[in-house]
Amino acid sequence: MGRLRTLPDALSEAARGDAGYVFASGGADTFRSFADIRASSVRAARALREAGLRKGDLVALVLADAEAFLTMLCAASMAGVIPASLYPPALMGAAGDLSRYLQLTAGILRASRATAVVTTSTLVPAFAGLRARCPSLSLVLAHEQLDASLIEPDDLPTLDDIAFVQFTSGSTSMPKGVTLSHANLSANIDAINGPSGLMTGADDVGVSWLPLNHDMGLVGMALGAMYAARPCVLLPPQSFVKRPAEWLRALTRHGGTISFAPNFAYDLCVRRVKDADLEGLDLSSWRVAGCGAEPIHPPTLAAFARKFAPVGFRETSFLPSYGLAEHVLAATFAPRGRALRTENSLVSCGSPLPGHAIRIVDEDNQPLPERHVGEILLAGPSVMLGYYQQDHPGDAVEDGWLHTGDLGYLADGELFVCGRVKDVIIANGRKYHPQDLEWAVDDLAGVRRGRVVAFGMVGEGRADRVVMVVEPNGTVPAASLTEMVRRRIGDLFGLYVDEVAVVPSGTVGRTTSGKVQRAATREKWASLAELRAES
Amino acid sequence: MVQPASASLEDTVIDVLKNVSRRPIEPTVDSDLVADLGFDSLQVLELVAELEDRFDISIPLNDVPSTRTVGQIVAQVARLVGERPTA
Repeated sequence: MGRLRTLPDALSEAARGDAGYVFASGGADTFRSFADIRASSVRAARALREAGLRKGDLVALVLADAEAFLTMLCAASMAGVIPASLYPPALMGAAGDLSRYLQLTAGILRASRATAVVTTSTLVPAFAGLRARCPSLSLVLAHEQLDASLIEPDDLPTLDDIAFVQFTSGSTSMPKGVTLSHANLSANIDAINGPSGLMTGADDVGVSWLPLNHDMGLVGMALGAMYAARPCVLLPPQSFVKRPAEWLRALTRHGGTISFAPNFAYDLCVRRVKDADLEGLDLSSWRVAGCGAEPIHPPTLAAFARKFAPVGFRETSFLPSYGLAEHVLAATFAPRGRALRTENSLVSCGSPLPGHAIRIVDEDNQPLPERHVGEILLAGPSVMLGYYQQDHPGDAVEDGWLHTGDLGYLADGELFVCGRVKDVIIANGRKYHPQDLEWAVDDLAGVRRGRVVAFGMVGEGRADRVVMVVEPNGTVPAASLTEMVRRRIGDLFGLYVDEVAVVPSGTVGRTTSGKVQRAATREKWASLAELRAES
Repeated sequence: MVQPASASLEDTVIDVLKNVSRRPIEPTVDSDLVADLGFDSLQVLELVAELEDRFDISIPLNDVPSTRTVGQIVAQVARLVGERPTA
């Protein structure tokens, strides 16, 4: 295990070697050594300082391009400012609902008192338009223009400074920005790369199509490679989703040894990679096929292994893991090279990383013995500092223990994850907060304001069914309302709402503080659904 | 001459839509991809790939957000097929 390093230190060390990133997009591979990335970052850091940014300022990065994102992340860190990653506008609906996206983003920028936005030159005018609504936002910068002299930065962060903030939710007045120190980041990455994790070496080659505003893509793949000074190939997420075989071709072309993905990605490969695509694939170098970020479905992995065994894939390469952004990324890993351990159709996600601890507790926070289901709590050097600019990390961290909101049990010290305490909806490896979906449709004509509830119905071996319960205000026919809700959610989140329930007034209850009663509404919806089924 | 060709192109697009959807759907030219046919962002990209393969065209991803109905897809595919270089 190495000593802890800040992001700029890790980049400087990596820049002494020959390794770097390969950005594979549009059919072409572009190599950028860590030294190249460092040089661009130093220039951009200088430009950020010249633009007037000072230590401790929050800079929101709204960048979908991997090279731009990584360069600006390092640049912000070198400039002593705090980088925050925000979701860029979704591919779908970029035209249709940019205004609603901007409203959502403005909420985050305002509440987090962001000083600057760094985005693409195309999006600069849209973000500049938000300045009236976000008093602290003084700069909207195009990353293409952040290129000043190559002057070494002089105000580098320390291990205790914030490395970055990852916003996972933003619609409510309190955006949830997971805040991680450089010490957090380094501790988690070192544990991931270490002997109980990937046991990574100079011969390893990472290959990833995961978005960089997601912890698995950013920390696990891109920064994991940088901290180990080993190569990593990065593909745009859309190119994988459009043609899943592109992922496997990149692994073949570059002799990839490490690649992580959520369960749904393995499923996409099983369903969509055609027999003709198998020709020319060679997955024999792929020694760690990580799986995490959403429930792992054993039949999916078995089907993947069967389909790709003829091109050299080994089932023992699967590495189930468990983690969450509030814990940087990883919390547990199954042992490398072992066949999947399953029970009750759940997969073992293994044991905690060295120097980290896990505990299962009941509703009264009392530790439970093995084989009892309760909430998963984590402790150790990877537990986040808190949510950005919230004095209390909410109920999230208590006495050093992070409440994950996930349910699970331990058996022989190994973790089996089996559900959620929180209302989070998981689809395609991404977590969606019900409040975000509710807020997104709250201003639609036809919706009674504040009378919307979203939740997910968890189903075994498939994605959550998304249900939205809506009270109408009578101005729009129910069928059109359903369509409007689906379109809005599709545009903003790329998510399909399986059921839009237009319900009578009074179904969506509110607490005295004005919050929707999600659980109670869900029960009412379920009984209404039963009534319908009977009639 | 154009009429029968575009009618069969429409049938082919509808056929692709049915294959990509994992629900039983009956698309018409007026169907909205998201609201009526239940496509999420993943399936939209899957649809793009399938259409590209079936018609031997390349659909620019920038055009995807403004395409909402089956009729618009048919029109766009027809345009791209028309522009296709004859090898």
